[in-house]
Amino acid sequence: MKIFRILLAGLMLTFVFQSSVAQAVCNQSSASTADNDLWNTHGCWQAFFLWSYKAYDQRQSDWNNRGWNDACNANMEFPKHWNAAYLVTYGLQDANCCSWHGTTDYRKLGEAAGSNFHSGLYHDAGDGTSLFGGFTPHTFGADELTTYCPLYNATSANGNPGSRAGDFMHEGWHGWLHKYNWNNGSCGGHRCGTPGACTAKDACDYFYFHGVGAFAFGALYQTDGTANRFHSPNQVQVEFLCDVADYPKSWVPNSVRQAARSDADARAAARFINGPGYKCGNPRPW
Amino acid sequence: MTKLILVLLPVMLLQHRISANATETSAQPPNTQSRPSQQPSITVQELAKRQAPALVGTGEEAKKNALAFIDWAGASTKSQDEIVRKMVAGARENPDIIMAFCDEAFAKQDVDHSRALVALSLIGEARSQAGMECMVKFARQPLPEKGTVVEGEIIERTNLAMLQAKAIDGLAYLRNEKADQFVVEAAAKNPSRIVRAEAIAAYLWNHNYDAKSREILKSVIRKDEVIFLDRLVKQADEPKESFNRKLAVYLKTHPEIMPPGPEKAEPQPKETVGRPPKF
Repeated sequence: MKIFRILLAGLMLTFVFQSSVAQAVCNQSSASTADNDLWNTHGCWQAFFLWSYKAYDQRQSDWNNRGWNDACNANMEFPKHWNAAYLVTYGLQDANCCSWHGTTDYRKLGEAAGSNFHSGLYHDAGDGTSLFGGFTPHTFGADELTTYCPLYNATSANGNPGSRAGDFMHEGWHGWLHKYNWNNGSCGGHRCGTPGACTAKDACDYFYFHGVGAFAFGALYQTDGTANRFHSPNQVQVEFLCDVADYPKSWVPNSVRQAARSDADARAAARFINGPGYKCGNPRPW
Repeated sequence: MTKLILVLLPVMLLQHRISANATETSAQPPNTQSRPSQQPSITVQELAKRQAPALVGTGEEAKKNALAFIDWAGASTKSQDEIVRKMVAGARENPDIIMAFCDEAFAKQDVDHSRALVALSLIGEARSQAGMECMVKFARQPLPEKGTVVEGEIIERTNLAMLQAKAIDGLAYLRNEKADQFVVEAAAKNPSRIVRAEAIAAYLWNHNYDAKSREILKSVIRKDEVIFLDRLVKQADEPKESFNRKLAVYLKTHPEIMPPGPEKAEPQPKETVGRPPKF
């Protein structure tokens, strides 16, 4: 009888655990103004998400309860994810005079295919609330890029398409560090603690300053192995967000640009050991 | 009964495994019941033709118009920036409109961050007395000490700090003595580095980076943040040549911010199956 009770308890616990995992998803009852404004520029363009789920290697089993079969419900994670992918694919101006990097760089960094930027990866979503994103290298099969609830919840300053896409860049850059065997720190690929001017914890990087035009479009992956030509994950993210804020395509909504700038400036002030990083735009309110 | 369970257990586990595999192998592409939408290029053209709601009226009418304007302005494009600025300037003397913006900023700060950001931007752009009071009230809200910790930061605290930074932009843009005093105080004493950094940038920009404003800030800000006085602002539409010149000066003035060279990681042993254990 004792074995029976243990087995029964184990089975019950298994089912309880499984059902709680299935229910624990991010806030699926709303989308931010920035998400909705960008969404309205395409009104759920089906041809795009039928392309992007392959380009970002999203798998049904990972996104089933996150809008996989409700891909035009802008409150769900899967539609929010491809809304961000849409911004990366079409939303940047690529101004030769002024952009930090080009669409070709940001696409290769975020998309799944292996390239000079990283080995092959796939995108999934996680229910965690203590991280924005994560990069998990796998010995067998593609590496894993996970985005978490704070990037999907409208209440969060990061629950908008620019910040979400910014995280594709950040985590993708961990993929770059991994591919080329660079050590950016032992705390999740960042420096541990709150070193220097950084106010985050275990999430700090150096900013490797470079001029505009120092990297031709498509050449973001390049380095000479010195601080003169190198990037950190937070830096790539800030540069992307500044490009969204300052050099977007003409149709990118103001709310998307404002949220991107706000994220870039906050991150530039708080995430760098040798900070501040660049500040984008100017402080005029509108 | 015990035997039955023990017999059934592998079957149940196998069934679970099979069903999981079946899901993977029969994965369907994402789907929707919505009607196919038109090309975004057409949608974008249609959106560009939308007229801005009038920013007029009093009482309930003003509130309704202000909310509609926030909807429109959030979705507006770069080429419409000047229209937004002119319309908001035109509503400067209408306290009901400004208060409706203000109420919306407070109402949405914990619900829809990007909408609160848009509302605060409009208040700041209006340069009005009512707006000033609103932004001071907004920027004086205490930053949360507890909440959800994301990467070492309390996310509710960071969220509010980012909105307060936007309120500070608006206060600095007023360019009057009282608002300036508040901005300088924020540059020195706001508990968030995000807000202090923005206050320094906004104060300098609104005073054309003159020597006097640098001195005023330098006398009050934290010693370890004096570098913010020289922080590079990558102005929109600034040609790369001029920006790169400023960058070179910045790095020469502050050699301490040059990072150390990157390091290679320890070589990771490759996981291999290897030889079978000795029999």
